[in-house]
Amino acid sequence: MAAIRTDVPKIDSSELKELTEKLITACHILDHEGVTDGYGHISVRVPGADAFITIANISPGCVTRDRLIMQDLDGNYLDGAKTPPNEWPIHSCILKARPEIVSVAHTHSKWSTIFSVLPIKLKPMHHYGKFLSADGPPIYEGIGLVRTVERGNELASALGNGPVVLMRAHGDAVVGESVEQVIERTTRLAMLGEWNHLALLHGEPRYLTAAELEVYNADQRFPMRGWEYYVSRLDGKR
Amino acid sequence: MDSLKSNVLAFDSSDLKELKQKLVDACHILDREGITDGYGHVSLRVPGTDAFLTIAGVSPGCATLERLVMLDLHGKFLGGQNAPPYEWPIHACILRARPDVMSVCHTHSKWSSLFSVLKGGLRPVHMYAKFLPANGPPIYPAAGLIGTVERGEALATALKDSAAVLMRAHGDAVVGASLEQAILRTVQLAFIGELAHMAVAHGEPLYMSEVEMATFSADQAFPARPWEYYLSRIRERRSS
Repeated sequence: MAAIRTDVPKIDSSELKELTEKLITACHILDHEGVTDGYGHISVRVPGADAFITIANISPGCVTRDRLIMQDLDGNYLDGAKTPPNEWPIHSCILKARPEIVSVAHTHSKWSTIFSVLPIKLKPMHHYGKFLSADGPPIYEGIGLVRTVERGNELASALGNGPVVLMRAHGDAVVGESVEQVIERTTRLAMLGEWNHLALLHGEPRYLTAAELEVYNADQRFPMRGWEYYVSRLDGKR
Repeated sequence: MDSLKSNVLAFDSSDLKELKQKLVDACHILDREGITDGYGHVSLRVPGTDAFLTIAGVSPGCATLERLVMLDLHGKFLGGQNAPPYEWPIHACILRARPDVMSVCHTHSKWSSLFSVLKGGLRPVHMYAKFLPANGPPIYPAAGLIGTVERGEALATALKDSAAVLMRAHGDAVVGASLEQAILRTVQLAFIGELAHMAVAHGEPLYMSEVEMATFSADQAFPARPWEYYLSRIRERRSS
């Protein structure tokens, strides 16, 4: 692993301008696509540093540049707005446990929440779910907001090496190697949840098997096309 | 089959302008009607040639005249943006196998995706489904994007002489003798899927029989009316 930089840039530095703009756009996308309500947050790691930027106690749909906050991976305040989200340990603990992860989204998605309390797993029944394992994402069973490092570490353990963890009676945490990937995964997880719900009313669907998911994962990927589309839907709102 | 034009029109020929605009409108209609998201594509055969137009690596909702590509029926690049959709064989292989087809739509429609993984099939519960067989459209069962001619031909085989094929855990491919018909069928297929889903939640619906579908099919068809309606719903987008 590369050495951790100590010269952490300021939140309004030109170096971080593109990244913070992307973070704001990502928040607005989750709102526009109906995944978040008054709550939820997205974080992005400051490149090369033990620090991350997230939104400061505000709905993703209302976020603006002056409502961003930077913290280190122990939750210490570094820069920006002064009120961290209650559940900052979701981000710090996952970013600490998973050095390859760049961005984390936490939402109260309706479709993640419903499958977090069902005995039936949310399994891939469309190739949009090819980032999941064939038996679906794990579920974090803990009760209570993730506002302590202890709970954050438990959540990170439940996530393991996967892309998603459902949080029982609460929502989900979704991770990715870029902000775009986290947004694609979060919106697709919601679509899959809805489609699983619809399908299960008819009986057991023909889920994709592990071998079939591998076939899809061997195909070419197009992460930017979805991002461009979601951004286009914000036009007029931004 | 009639002999094909040996000289395919140049991509920027003014003779293609109307077709291109219609193709972009069709893409925006599928987005506006809630069928597509970041993915999916529509193709249109260039009349009398071995060539077709489609969108170049862009969401149907973001399609513009500049983001089109022209390919021949073997996937050879003929002009436009040099970024054909990864699944171009869906279009090439179906257009090759079906000379009667002018246009192909491929989408990840929620309702087609749903019925593609259900055991009961998507059976007609409304006359809008009169373009489908009474036991529902066939299902292409294989995993994997249609990124090869081999997979494209397997899909065309599954479609056979139908108007639509569901693609398991993926979506659908819908064909038409015109672009307008392919769009109308794609939108109606989604409508039928939603209706069938709601109906089945109440128990076994009174599906339409083959004879009843034939009765509806014998009635006059009005393909132009919905196209005008769909266009009216994207008017704002077109003038901008």
